[in-house]
Amino acid sequence: MTAVLSDVNAMVAGQGGDGSLTVITLLGNVLARRGFHLYSTRNVASRIKGGPAAALLRGSSEPRSGMGDDVDIFVAFDDEAIETVGSRVAPGGFVVYDSSAGPLPSGFLPEETTVIEIPFGRFAVRDLRRELFKNSLAFGVISRILSFADAEAAAVLEERFAARPELVARNLQALREGFAFADEHGFAENAGPIRLTDTPSEDRILISGNHAAAFGFLVAGVRFFAGYPITPATEVLEFMTRHIGTYGGAAIQAEDELAAVNMALGASLTGVRSLVATSGPGISLMQEGIGHAGAAELPLVVIDAQRSGPSTGMPTKSEQSDIGMLVHGGNGDFPRIVLAPGDPSQAFDLAVAATNLAQWIQGPVYLMLDQALSQDSVTVPLFDVTGVEIDAGLRLTQRQLDTLDEYRRYAITEDGLSPLAVPGMPGGMSLVTGNEHDEWGRVSTDPGNRAAMMDKRARKIDAVKDDLPKGLRFGDETGPVGILGVGMESGVMREAVERLAVDGISLAGLQPRTIWPVLDETLAFIASRERVYVVEHNHEGQLAQILASIGEANGSVRSILKYDGVPFTPGELIDRIVLEEST
Amino acid sequence: MTATYRPVEPIWCAGCGHFGVEAALAGALADLVIPKHETLVLAGIGCSGTIQNNLGAYGYHALHGRVLPTAAGAWEANPDLTVIAAGGDGDGYAIGMGHLIHTFRRNPSFTYIVMNNGIYGLTKGQNSPTRQGTATIDAILLGLSVLETTFIARGFTRAPDQLRRLTTAALTHAREGRGFAFLEVLSPCVTYNDTYPVWEAEQLDLDADDGYDPTDRSAAFTRVVDLQSQNRIPIGLIYRDPAAESRSFVNPAASSIEPASHVESYMDVMSRYRI
Ligand SMILES: Cc1ncc(C[n+]2csc(CCOP(=O)(O)OP(=O)(O)O)c2C)c(N)n1
Ligand code: SF4
Ligand SMILES: [Mg+2]
Repeated sequence: MTAVLSDVNAMVAGQGGDGSLTVITLLGNVLARRGFHLYSTRNVASRIKGGPAAALLRGSSEPRSGMGDDVDIFVAFDDEAIETVGSRVAPGGFVVYDSSAGPLPSGFLPEETTVIEIPFGRFAVRDLRRELFKNSLAFGVISRILSFADAEAAAVLEERFAARPELVARNLQALREGFAFADEHGFAENAGPIRLTDTPSEDRILISGNHAAAFGFLVAGVRFFAGYPITPATEVLEFMTRHIGTYGGAAIQAEDELAAVNMALGASLTGVRSLVATSGPGISLMQEGIGHAGAAELPLVVIDAQRSGPSTGMPTKSEQSDIGMLVHGGNGDFPRIVLAPGDPSQAFDLAVAATNLAQWIQGPVYLMLDQALSQDSVTVPLFDVTGVEIDAGLRLTQRQLDTLDEYRRYAITEDGLSPLAVPGMPGGMSLVTGNEHDEWGRVSTDPGNRAAMMDKRARKIDAVKDDLPKGLRFGDETGPVGILGVGMESGVMREAVERLAVDGISLAGLQPRTIWPVLDETLAFIASRERVYVVEHNHEGQLAQILASIGEANGSVRSILKYDGVPFTPGELIDRIVLEEST
Repeated sequence: MTATYRPVEPIWCAGCGHFGVEAALAGALADLVIPKHETLVLAGIGCSGTIQNNLGAYGYHALHGRVLPTAAGAWEANPDLTVIAAGGDGDGYAIGMGHLIHTFRRNPSFTYIVMNNGIYGLTKGQNSPTRQGTATIDAILLGLSVLETTFIARGFTRAPDQLRRLTTAALTHAREGRGFAFLEVLSPCVTYNDTYPVWEAEQLDLDADDGYDPTDRSAAFTRVVDLQSQNRIPIGLIYRDPAAESRSFVNPAASSIEPASHVESYMDVMSRYRI
């Protein structure tokens, strides 16, 4: 019997050194050629080489921003893999098991699982590159399970090793060994137990949130980056270090996050679009500098790739527990904007928006990510590079400055925005300071001036409110019950809502892209509903608290929380919603 | 010409050493004929951290201890500016000390002037890491121990001509792209720690010593250590790396950010992610 799937989930697990990703990469290439959308994630228990690691891939005819409920195909390179993640195999799923590691541990896999045992170790002696060899062999078996043509599988393998021709022959041989094992189980070419639906293919990229955001910032004109390595934000540092120099920019690996944020402030002072990227512990260290951007009115963009906290927490695990710090952190009151994309396409778009908004408000703008969004890779359409507009805010040209009789760096204006001249411009000399100051930037504690300056800075947010990215709606627009979440919850919420609708439970969904300031549309969404479930990965319901403290109908906000470091699967989220709805 | 802010009157106590530092800096900027609009003076937090208000140039008040990374960012972003970082000994040697070591190491081409008075003036006289009679740090020895260091000098506000010369030399070193110019100035706080009499007695002018070779790093190190053990404080040009060449730098502030001018290249970057 052949199952026809439009959504397939695969997992490969073994010791970190097994290069589990290779099988997943090869599989992804076939699925992509067949027009499937991809979502891929890694589950790394240990950050150093060795230790159990799993790579997961979802291919689906609909775009998805998260893994499915369970996996259809599981390649387990050792017994520990079966023991730790075997329970994720779907009923009726397929497991390829490396039996040279010992007999299949019993009691970890669902009953109806088909297990194909292969003593991979037998081939090890014949090949120096055992890991690759194992991967190609396993790939041969799963290609047959998924009813791929043998040539189709061989083609992606050849492409993968195109740069290393000496490896092609051996890996093709391993692939054929895999076909032979499949034959023994009766999985003939094009006739396996699973068949995929036909899906039209289109030009796509496979990219993580970190890379998409970093690329967005580059295109938005960021020419200065400072960072300090930290999981899960490091890819931004790596991307910038690699690319920014091509465009005449500078990327610096600072001695710590205090240095990084202050370097960015210094660069911003000269008019260069500046970015820092870090995670919770680094955001904590940057709080003073971010407040300084608010007080001294310097454009600054900060990426927070959130990880599980508090303190060092679980560096490789996803969480959304910095929301309170981003919205309220730092000493004193200062205007700020917090944007939250839900997938790599949005990360690109909001990176551009964040950069331009920072120029307008001359203050800090956060791009809030979380580990899953930051590091998981998703297929998305190509970004619209030519559609990106560089908006300089109130930055003065020399010609404009020359027409002014006098220049006040902190001129108090109706909308709070002050025209900006930068060092190097004759006639634009100013004093920039985080001390309270007068319009010229001279330190002042005059009560009238103080109040006027606080009000001026606050007004800047109202001035850009209409330009803040709006939320994305899904589900039943008119439903009395709502669901709301950001970042890593975005994709899984949509999927849960779709599936619940099939069962006759309709929900109205909102994914706000601007968390702070809270937009009127967000408040209206909540106020017009009987209840709204706010889904988030933290213990205290940080987003729900913010919404409840601002909205009028605050009794209608209810939290659905998770803080074990693992994203929701759609099924889990559905269960939680159903449970809430039945009590 | 557009009118801008009027420089502020110094807020310092009469007799404060910081007046001397400002006079030397203003003099050096004038001697080198550096236009005010191309001059960016960044200062830390402290009595010393108000110097930028008095000069009429572009001024920036950094966070306490963060003047070096801020100046480094400004200089990286626009190396065509004359970037001058200034601050106190508390700012530079206590809360900001970590940055000093790394700035020596990176050797960016800007000037850093530390106004050392042995105490925290602004917060009313607590000990700093250079307070004599306590366990102290010598930033000059620290700088000499970093291989990338290219310029170290120490001035004294009681020797104003030398101080102006040293300031000019530091600015010139940095402006020529030879690297980080570090100038510590003995700048007494007459209110909380009047070290004028002690420092006048203890200072020793290496500029006046014909036998001293400021281009010999190990000799400089030995000499400073020896003087330290004799309770003498060397002033003058302590070290200049003779191999420090004049470099030019890419200027991000002058780079094109219009997407239209980079479309092809951006598409290339994006193509690496194609599947
Ligand atoms: C993070 C932080 N901690 C403490 C202070 C308080 N503070 C202001 S100035 C200063 C010390 C200034 O001493 P120094 O740098 O030697 O300058 P001086 O006043 O002696 O010129 C301190 C501790 C601050 N502004 N910020
Ligand atoms: S307190 Fe000391 S350092 Fe501050 S201005 Fe007065 S004399 Fe100068
Ligand atoms: Mg001091």
